[in-house]
Amino acid sequence: MAKIRVNPNRMELLKLRRRGDVAKRGHKLLKDKFDELLKEFIARISENRRLRAEVEAQLRDAYGYFAVARAEAGRAAIAQALLASTPADLLDTAEKSVMSVRVPIFEQRELSEPGGYSLATMPVVLDEALAKLAAVAPRMLELAEREKAIELLAAEIERTRRRVNALEHVLIPSIDETIKDIQMKLDEAERGNLTRLMKVKDIIAAQEARERER
Amino acid sequence: MAKIAVIGDSTSVAGFRPLGFATFAVRHPDDARRLWEDLSGGEYGVVFVTEPVYEAIADLAAEAADRPTPAVTVIPGAGSPGGVGEAKLNRAIERALGTTMLIREEEE
Repeated sequence: MAKIRVNPNRMELLKLRRRGDVAKRGHKLLKDKFDELLKEFIARISENRRLRAEVEAQLRDAYGYFAVARAEAGRAAIAQALLASTPADLLDTAEKSVMSVRVPIFEQRELSEPGGYSLATMPVVLDEALAKLAAVAPRMLELAEREKAIELLAAEIERTRRRVNALEHVLIPSIDETIKDIQMKLDEAERGNLTRLMKVKDIIAAQEARERER
Repeated sequence: MAKIAVIGDSTSVAGFRPLGFATFAVRHPDDARRLWEDLSGGEYGVVFVTEPVYEAIADLAAEAADRPTPAVTVIPGAGSPGGVGEAKLNRAIERALGTTMLIREEEE
């Protein structure tokens, strides 16, 4: 593991110890966040699978009704009948925070009332098809909201996992190693000092002995 | 306040128009790429795309994946085989967990 390049002195040692403590605390917090995000994520997945299957089935059902309408009245006539309307603002969007991930909330306003086509010339099944589609619309929005939340959670989980791994496998080991290294160098300096002192003491003692002899 | 957009072949999207959805009928799935810039601008809160269209614009949609809106959601088109929406979900799972196995095992 790469060591951090610092001067091996007590000041740096203290600084590094403090950094190490912060890194470990941060790692624990992030790890907790990661676990919690994952729990939230997994809880949403199976619910979403069910909802998607339901929406897809209802949509296919509605498409079937439209196909029957087309067969009865003709493709061009149906296309023309469905053209008579303008897009409306159907959504109120807001945001909420799930584990500090901002996810959208969609609130549906009332759908436009289908109409504008001649009831005399259009088959009844067209009304039914539109009613089916109107019935599935709220579920579609719910699905959109949930899937978006899942995507955003997935992105956040990925980011958090990277951070946890970077702390766990890079930063914390390198700090630990650098601390050990500095500790060793300081100990070595301490031993060097001690032997020098002992040597000096010997020299002084020898000098004093010589002076006494004179 | 936002609108809902539906992009797909004219057969699939036509029915949404009377309900007040903004529908964009494309003759060919690749034509949707040109529409994307308008759709992702913020005017639309939810963009529903049919399966062939999603496959054509997947890379553009991925760029919007990390923003709260628009929420790009795959719906089956009339006569498309299905499974694309499920695949999109699986990609999100894989992104989060690094694998899709875990969840499948849990469901069984």
